[in-house]
Amino acid sequence: MLEQTGNILAAVADAGTAIFGASIGCGIIIIGASIGIGLIGASASNAMARQPEAGGNIFRSMIVSAALVEGVTFFSLVICLLTVLWLKG
Amino acid sequence: MINSSIYTGLLAELNPLEHVLQKPLFSISIGSWQVSVSNHMFMVTLATIFLLIAIPLAVKQNNSLVPRGLKNLLETICVFFREEVVRPVLKNHTDKYVGFIWTVFFFILTLNLLGMIPIEKFITLATGKTSHYGGAATANIWVTGAMAVVVFFMFHFVGIKEQGLRNYIVNFAPPVPWPLIPLIYFLELVSSFIRPFTLAIRLFANIIAGHMIIATFIGLILVFRSYGLALVSLGFTLFLSLLDVLVAFIQAFVFALLCTLYFGFAVEAEH
Repeated sequence: MLEQTGNILAAVADAGTAIFGASIGCGIIIIGASIGIGLIGASASNAMARQPEAGGNIFRSMIVSAALVEGVTFFSLVICLLTVLWLKG
Repeated sequence: MINSSIYTGLLAELNPLEHVLQKPLFSISIGSWQVSVSNHMFMVTLATIFLLIAIPLAVKQNNSLVPRGLKNLLETICVFFREEVVRPVLKNHTDKYVGFIWTVFFFILTLNLLGMIPIEKFITLATGKTSHYGGAATANIWVTGAMAVVVFFMFHFVGIKEQGLRNYIVNFAPPVPWPLIPLIYFLELVSSFIRPFTLAIRLFANIIAGHMIIATFIGLILVFRSYGLALVSLGFTLFLSLLDVLVAFIQAFVFALLCTLYFGFAVEAEH
């Protein structure tokens, strides 16, 4: 049975499977990024509602944190993109 | 399957990557080498010349106490950086390194904003031949990588200059119980190498994502060839372009902020 599994895996391992995996990966990455940035926005709104005087500082921290989370997102997105682009070879 | 290369003077392309890749412009020979100048190299040179000319012109007004116009804008940005971003981190060493932070911010901002202006599209529309004199230079991993390498050398140089070579190497890891020191030291060393990578890729990926999605929406017009879709597509393109301008400012600010933080880490162990 192990040999049959190996045969099936060898048969489906082609460029289409890689593209399928990369696309599913992109979707999962977006889930993580959206939850992260949503949490940042929610806590920033709460903090600004509690103390409106600190609104400028809180807004600035929110933007910076969102940019950092997006940076991490883009690493993984770049890897997914490379998976698709390097299939020509 | 239409081949967009048979049309000259076409602004849209089917492959959104074509919009953001480097295109060779001309090639000059230096001695025995052939150096091929690409559009991103042209944009970096353009940004440098623009900043070298525009900023001294903007600040060279009669020295009244209240600055006006562009000088006011530049002073506001520079004072904001010096007081809110650099001084809380670098405290006494602010005046030594704030010039570098200003340079990094204005250079990256200029490159990002020049990438938003489609210079090559204007030239293509004017002349009818496809021209490549323009493009987003920060959408090129080598340009952002070069800036990240400069920042890497800069923050090690700052640490060595402030603390002396021996102190800097000894204080590289925070004080922890002695069995953990090799692990923590290795971790700090690896993280100092990861930092330029993250700086480069964050800026590169943000800018290239914005440009590629704009190119995709405009390429959709080429696929569907209908006026109604062109209208919707241009509406989305407008919205995404505005978002891209916001991202340009934010990414330049985040790059400069992270440079400041890394300089702060490099000088902090002195106290």
